[in-house]
Amino acid sequence: MKVPFSWLCEYVPLEVSPEQLAERLAVTSAEVERVFWRGVEDSEGNFDNFRVGRVLEAGKHPNADRLQLCKVDLGEAEPRQIVCGAWNFGAGATVAVGLPGAVVPGGMKLERVKLRGSVSEGMIMSERELELSQDHSGIMLLPDDWEPGSRLADHFALGEAILELEVTGNRPDLLAVYGLAREVAALYKLELAPPPGTDPELVGDEPVQVSVEDFAGCPRYVGRLFHDVKIGASPPWLKARLSGAGMRPISNVVDVTNYVMLALGNPLHAFDLDRLAESRLIVRRAHSGEEMRTLDGVDRKLDPRDLVIADAAKPMAVAGIMGGEESEVADTSSSILLESANFEPVGILESSERLKLRSEGSNRWEKGVDPYLAGQAAELASELIVQLAGAHWVGQTDIQGELPARPVVHFRPERADELIGVSIPAEEQRGLLERFGFEVAGDWTVTVPTFRARDVTREIDLVEEIARVHLDEVPFTLPARRAMWGRLTREQRLRRRTEDVLSGLGFVEAYTYSLVDSDPDENAIHLPDPLTAEHSLLRTTILGGLIGSLERNLDAGNEDVALFEIAHVYLPGKEELPAEPVRIAGLTWGGFARAKGAVEALYRALAAPTPSFEPAGELPYLHPLRVARVGEGGWVGELHPELAEGEWGAFELDLSALAELAQDVVVYSDVISFPAVKQDLSFVVAENVPAGELIAAAREAAGADLRAMEVSDVYRGSQLAEGQKSITFAVAFQSPERTLSDTEAAALREKIVQMLAERFDATLRS
Amino acid sequence: MDVEKLEQEAASALEQAGSLEQLEELRVRFLGRSSELKLALREVRDRESGMSLNALRQRLEAALEERRSALERAELQHKLMADSIDVTLPGESFSEGHLHLITQIRREVEDIFLGLGYMIVDGREVETTRYNFDGLNMPAWHPARLSGHSLFLSDDVLLRTETSPSQIRVMEAQAPPVYMISPGRVYRRDTPDATHSPVFHQVEGLAVDRGISLADLKGTLLHLMRALFGEKRELRFRTHYFPFTEPSIEPDVSCHMCDGAGCPVCKQSGWIEMGGAGIVDPNVLEFVGYDPEQVSGFAFGLGLERIALLRHRVPDIRLLWENDLRFSRQF
Repeated sequence: MKVPFSWLCEYVPLEVSPEQLAERLAVTSAEVERVFWRGVEDSEGNFDNFRVGRVLEAGKHPNADRLQLCKVDLGEAEPRQIVCGAWNFGAGATVAVGLPGAVVPGGMKLERVKLRGSVSEGMIMSERELELSQDHSGIMLLPDDWEPGSRLADHFALGEAILELEVTGNRPDLLAVYGLAREVAALYKLELAPPPGTDPELVGDEPVQVSVEDFAGCPRYVGRLFHDVKIGASPPWLKARLSGAGMRPISNVVDVTNYVMLALGNPLHAFDLDRLAESRLIVRRAHSGEEMRTLDGVDRKLDPRDLVIADAAKPMAVAGIMGGEESEVADTSSSILLESANFEPVGILESSERLKLRSEGSNRWEKGVDPYLAGQAAELASELIVQLAGAHWVGQTDIQGELPARPVVHFRPERADELIGVSIPAEEQRGLLERFGFEVAGDWTVTVPTFRARDVTREIDLVEEIARVHLDEVPFTLPARRAMWGRLTREQRLRRRTEDVLSGLGFVEAYTYSLVDSDPDENAIHLPDPLTAEHSLLRTTILGGLIGSLERNLDAGNEDVALFEIAHVYLPGKEELPAEPVRIAGLTWGGFARAKGAVEALYRALAAPTPSFEPAGELPYLHPLRVARVGEGGWVGELHPELAEGEWGAFELDLSALAELAQDVVVYSDVISFPAVKQDLSFVVAENVPAGELIAAAREAAGADLRAMEVSDVYRGSQLAEGQKSITFAVAFQSPERTLSDTEAAALREKIVQMLAERFDATLRS
Repeated sequence: MDVEKLEQEAASALEQAGSLEQLEELRVRFLGRSSELKLALREVRDRESGMSLNALRQRLEAALEERRSALERAELQHKLMADSIDVTLPGESFSEGHLHLITQIRREVEDIFLGLGYMIVDGREVETTRYNFDGLNMPAWHPARLSGHSLFLSDDVLLRTETSPSQIRVMEAQAPPVYMISPGRVYRRDTPDATHSPVFHQVEGLAVDRGISLADLKGTLLHLMRALFGEKRELRFRTHYFPFTEPSIEPDVSCHMCDGAGCPVCKQSGWIEMGGAGIVDPNVLEFVGYDPEQVSGFAFGLGLERIALLRHRVPDIRLLWENDLRFSRQF
């Protein structure tokens, strides 16, 4: 909402600057996006340089076919000679003149110049040059009763500050200059002018044929009929106000409807009566299959839920949203049916959403316009149509459904104090509420004004009215606690630990979208109406996102790429909502072995027992043979070479599964008192025997005194038969109770040798 | 044998010994098997001269040892002096990892509220309209419920549009008092650009107890903002409108770039918008079975990306999702 400052000041005698007002409003009422200037700058007497001129003579410039040479009366002793490029006027015209020294909008300074040999002592201005409209087809023609030499600024707002407000959805009353003035008057304790608009004389008694079939959608419809309407341009003051408010001046009647909407907040519509079948209007829901072309030239398919204003034959307007092209007010219109109605917000909102059509009108309706406002809006519009278009007001109707009663609320000023945390005298609260338009009875029964009836229905809503004016006084306190504890849950603690371990191992944490374009799980949840196909599925694995980030890094030439991410995945199930387990995923240079090493390190760091790594079948994204299942639901593998050049290791683990294994309290085991007996043992086995199974068997054979058994080397080559490999293990025997003798160690070793020979046909290499 | 002369001779020879080799020669000469002293010791017969010669031997051994360690030190010193390196060469490469900037900020915020005695709740992201809208006092016709703003999976299920549903879940599950924050991903129907992302992170805060007021909210947020943006920060409230709070406010923090003087970051206003907040609407408390006459509460929601962009001067929110190591390794 753009509010021209001088318009606001017409309703409330403000003495603060636009910037000061903006600062105050931002805190108490509505955000102010900016304060900007429209039109001619008002500094160092610049306004004095823009004057009304009367053209005394006008004719072709002697040296230029396209220019006119004029003599213009500016109320001075002598007329001035002015060269002008426009031809839409002649002698006798009243025009807007910028004198030498004037700074025009945009910053250019006018000077006395010679044009094709003739001196020009000023410039005759167009509307666009004065920022009154976009019209630059010719110069601006002024009413002939304006005195030559008088200042333009004394006739209309030549230039002024504009406040651009962003009004929240609960305050449609502020989407009107008068509504804002009412708010401002309350804030600054100033007197508010009575609402604008007084009915002109009713000079006929013609019936206005309107019927409302849907009072739920249209609780009120004021229709007024005008004859002898002369469509033309609006006067400069009206154009200045509309342009300042960001609307384009079109013609007097249309401009009046927009002006009244801006002034009072009630959107209006004007129909060309002669183009309505049977000269009648019906407010009804659209019939299925009905279509109409709206003012923006688009053909709209209507839905039986859409409220329309129809004539006897078909829809003429989508109620509250946009009028139709067919009954649009045109230059030739002479009879007008003016609509000042009230529409219910939800229907407007839904229609506007369905039709993907928003307008200044729908923006107000969907927030809820005061139904009691339609009468005042009709009065202001009638006054202006008669005044500006020479029309005769000849008939009226005011159809009302059940209009909502004003809410009545019991208020406790001490409750406001409690919730705001500051003590405000009760009488001050009463005064504030009253200035905002609430009626406050002696027993604190509060009656809400109609223009706030949707927003304020409960005591707490009145507390807000008090609070918003006292926000700057609210002190800084902390809750007075009776019970107080704050700590991470176990899983939160382990998640942080995991983040720290992986980043300590050199992994960089990545964040990738949970919405993806493809997922290996065909049951992955898809969005029925995604924003883009790129974000249409809820992922069941994080790896896909990391692969995307890997590609981006490789394209950028980044080296040593190692990424991890911890995030929810979304697993569809039988419940209404999917399971959302937290997964830990990683992707690193160095292939399978490095990924596995990271997983092992993570398990160690979380004091979780080393997991089993079982060969897995094929998994999406991964090399078909280089992949292992890890514990419950996890895996580690190598990226399929089609996906990225080089060997890339990857893993994905379930945080809860890992958390279950992690030990919270590690109990000391004595690995210090009695030394370990360390040996290297090499076994020759068939190629297909996994090292992990050898170790598992060895543990089974030797029991707890086999403290460590780790692969230190795998050899294949000429010293071995085809299909054989030799695996060397670094073995440590150790007892927590005593020092093992050489004999005991030898016996343990023998048990291992026998077991491996039995199970795997393994032979010990000497 | 002239003990004194031998000792003097040995002392001066040791002093002149310039290397360990020479020292070894001296050891052979003065203490070796066929040295004068050893020969004398072998021939000694009386206790007195034996003690005297033995004492001499010990002194010579000590002197020799002293000289040896001096020479060794000198030799090591000599070797070290020849063994210089270029200390400006880079160290051995450790590829250090980095936590994502949002994780770092999330933890900061968590730690601040852990310090204030709040619990941290990891809410779910796919939500029902009951928790995302109904419980938050957003009636069926509320604009946010239209598909144009949110990502729906069905009529009743959607990707949460704010972290607030976890408020409702927590309050339903426990009696007051409640002090919690809930950071996490939220979803809007937004096309990605420099300041918008269809997925982003919020942190939700909720305190419900006897006598909670706007002043408590103001103090809590000031504490948070000073922790995040520096001790000089000031906080102000502006009125606003949210369905789930009444009164609703937007907190502004004084600009950390210009200290409120006005600069491009704060659009010359001196203040920066930080999110939304307010007193929990009584309808929300009633929805979860709390009595608004007995307890009151405040709630707030902040965008973590916004904090990242403002504080770290990241120009484009998309950088946070691209995971380009040249970006990530800065933080």
